Amino acid sequence: MEKRTFPHPLPRREIEKGFEILIGENRLFGAELNVDIIKKENTGKKFLVSKLPSRRKLLSIWALLFRDLVSPADFLALLSAEIQEFEHREKMLLVGKDRIIYDTQIVHAGEHVGEMTLFFLSEMDRNLGLLDYLRGRRRRIVYIDHIRLSQQSSGYASSLFRHYEELFRDIGFHQFRLSASLSVGKYYWAKEGFDCLDRDEFQRMKENLREYVKARELPVAQVDIDRLNHAYDIALFRRDLKVPTFRNAAGYYSLEKNEWHQEEQKVPLGKAFLLSTKPWDGYKIIYTNTPRKTGVIYSPGYLEHRPRAGHPESHRRLEKLVKAIRKDDLQGSLVFLEPYVPDLGVIEKVHPAGYLESFRNGVRSGKKTFATGDCSISEASYDVALLAAGGVMAGVDAVLNGRVQNVFCAVRPPGHHAGRESAMGFCFLNNVAVGALYARAVYGAERIFILDWDVHHGNGTQEIFEEDPRTYFCSIHEHPTFCFPGTGRRMDRGKGEGKGFTLNIPVRPRTADEEFLDLFEREIIPEVETFRPDLIMISAGFDAHKDDPIADLELTERSFVHMTRRICEMADRHCQGRIVSVLEGGYNGSSLTSSAVAHLKTLQGRSEPCTSAEE
Amino acid sequence: MYVGRRMTAKPITVSPEDTIAQAGYLLKKHRIHHLPVVRGDELAGIVTDTDIRNTALKEPPADSGGEILVKERTVGEIMTRDVVTMNPWDTIEDALLVLHRRRFGALPVVDGRKLVGIITKTDILAAFIDTLRIEGIGGVRIEVLLPRDPAYLLRLIGTLGEMKIEIRSLVLSPFREELVAFLRIGTIDVASVKARLRESGFKVPELEDFLG
Repeated sequence: MEKRTFPHPLPRREIEKGFEILIGENRLFGAELNVDIIKKENTGKKFLVSKLPSRRKLLSIWALLFRDLVSPADFLALLSAEIQEFEHREKMLLVGKDRIIYDTQIVHAGEHVGEMTLFFLSEMDRNLGLLDYLRGRRRRIVYIDHIRLSQQSSGYASSLFRHYEELFRDIGFHQFRLSASLSVGKYYWAKEGFDCLDRDEFQRMKENLREYVKARELPVAQVDIDRLNHAYDIALFRRDLKVPTFRNAAGYYSLEKNEWHQEEQKVPLGKAFLLSTKPWDGYKIIYTNTPRKTGVIYSPGYLEHRPRAGHPESHRRLEKLVKAIRKDDLQGSLVFLEPYVPDLGVIEKVHPAGYLESFRNGVRSGKKTFATGDCSISEASYDVALLAAGGVMAGVDAVLNGRVQNVFCAVRPPGHHAGRESAMGFCFLNNVAVGALYARAVYGAERIFILDWDVHHGNGTQEIFEEDPRTYFCSIHEHPTFCFPGTGRRMDRGKGEGKGFTLNIPVRPRTADEEFLDLFEREIIPEVETFRPDLIMISAGFDAHKDDPIADLELTERSFVHMTRRICEMADRHCQGRIVSVLEGGYNGSSLTSSAVAHLKTLQGRSEPCTSAEE
Repeated sequence: MYVGRRMTAKPITVSPEDTIAQAGYLLKKHRIHHLPVVRGDELAGIVTDTDIRNTALKEPPADSGGEILVKERTVGEIMTRDVVTMNPWDTIEDALLVLHRRRFGALPVVDGRKLVGIITKTDILAAFIDTLRIEGIGGVRIEVLLPRDPAYLLRLIGTLGEMKIEIRSLVLSPFREELVAFLRIGTIDVASVKARLRESGFKVPELEDFLG
């Protein structure tokens, strides 16, 4: 298949020429959408072919939707590219009032195997606002209005949509949408990464699954259902556990046997459940200008931990950061994932039950601080801390399941100062450590590299892993003689079997980008290379920034971008790009936001994350 | 701060009849530099790795014939008999001053003539690390300049107390015309502490002033 990129708008006359070619070939028409038209049997068309609109109208809609990046004739050729000897015949573009329509018959080895209709349209992005919409910044959508393919052609559908995803990404489309109504379709689209457009719909699906499991007394843990975050998760859920489904003559499935659904088949739980759901509207993000699928873990619950007034680790840090993430084109290109309340058994791999209990009691008793004056607490602190650890677990799930390639967990309270039985430095539970041990226990990630670039030494994480040769802990931070918590000296290289698997790089106060990155390149990168991790985790604090009040380093966003990019390269080389990055410190709202956004954009593989971060 | 609490009790020893080779073996095996020499449990002298090295360097080449080889000579021949010692109730400061002024590495500790331990430079350094809490987790160092008037120190401590800041260690030294207080405080939010102290009129120098 021909590789195309579309860097610049074409001159007007190229677009006009493209239209004339299509008109000459009789492949361009006008279309009138008409809801009154009942779908014609087996065609599913919702429009009438009508007279072509004026040339001016053609040009304006083309500019709006395709930003003149591709000519109409070329676009049709790209849409109908032959893949695996499947051809598009009787293909045409239709121009409606607000959309362009692609309609085609699909043929394989001379035989008609199906047909397809796509709509290209745009809508206002509520997060952008009207002004941006009028300026042309809108969410561009490919609506899969109709697709029917013979059963043997599902491999073709996957290849076709992979081709489309790349093509549409390159011309700046943001989302696929469809209505998953066909029986096999509901499972197929979920497996292809389509999720419920309506979040409540997904929650209802989860509740129905929970009820079904309960009614049948199936051996499924509640927490495993809690962990489901996306229709994809349901599609792959419990492939080891087969349950009966009942098929009717038309090919629709039900979980109950009744007078229509008679034919019994044993199907894995998640698949069976999806096959039998009600129709749902689905969407899939097209990763506009971002070569990597990057997830973000966030919950408004993280704002409920409220330290005393004037405390640096305020909920506003995260509020501001999330607002920035939800702005501009960033939001549309990220996969938002929700954390879950973890099973205490997982947390206890790091923190003994007695410690968790004293933390919980401390919070419940209404005390103002826990363990030290720094660790200011409020009513919800215990639950929020658990949810933060659960956020990293959800991040590990998403990355190690292959849902996303890497993930940024925008959690609080932070965790890297928390030892097995000690809270300090705003930290209560060691989120990264919980995530690492969870990744090992559940997904068998053997070798885990944890890079901690928070300005403070990650003493808690070091304590937890200093005897573990399978978890490499590396921290670069301001020198302990000048900075909290006064640990993390060069000579600390791990203990016992873990000797050589801890690395501390203290840097002098006032260190700026150049010297910092020089140390990073010379001392940290070779260690990642030698260790060859299965998973890389980052304790990503952004308090080494020059504007951050808490310590004395003078980094700019450039350092975070550089380190992120290099860690992505390492992850590509050793572990299929798998990175779980976890927010730690960062106490100046603006520098935290700009640094974290730059980090996030670099995780996505964008080439100029800094410029857009500073916008 | 007594020597008895910081010394190494039951040190590794040799007897005057042991060979230099045996002494050298013990020094290497235990990674130490000093061996008290005892007869029974009474101190008879001390032998150090320097003594052994000096003896070896004085030795004529092995092919000169007739001489006894270094390693076969005895500890008694080369040990220092006039040993400077401490007793367990001397203070760490006493030991520090003797070690520093006489440039020793270690001092045997005796109770009467009986050897009860040894105190080395390393033990003194450990005492410093503990006193200054250099290894303690959760502390951060700040410096505050104070006029030479105890009232200011009192106010400094009072201000930190109001902020509920734990003071983990405090060293006060003369610095030019003033005093400088080196504190280790138990908080990550050192920026707020410094800001508050400056507001209250304290001189909190920038890091550079003490980086030398």
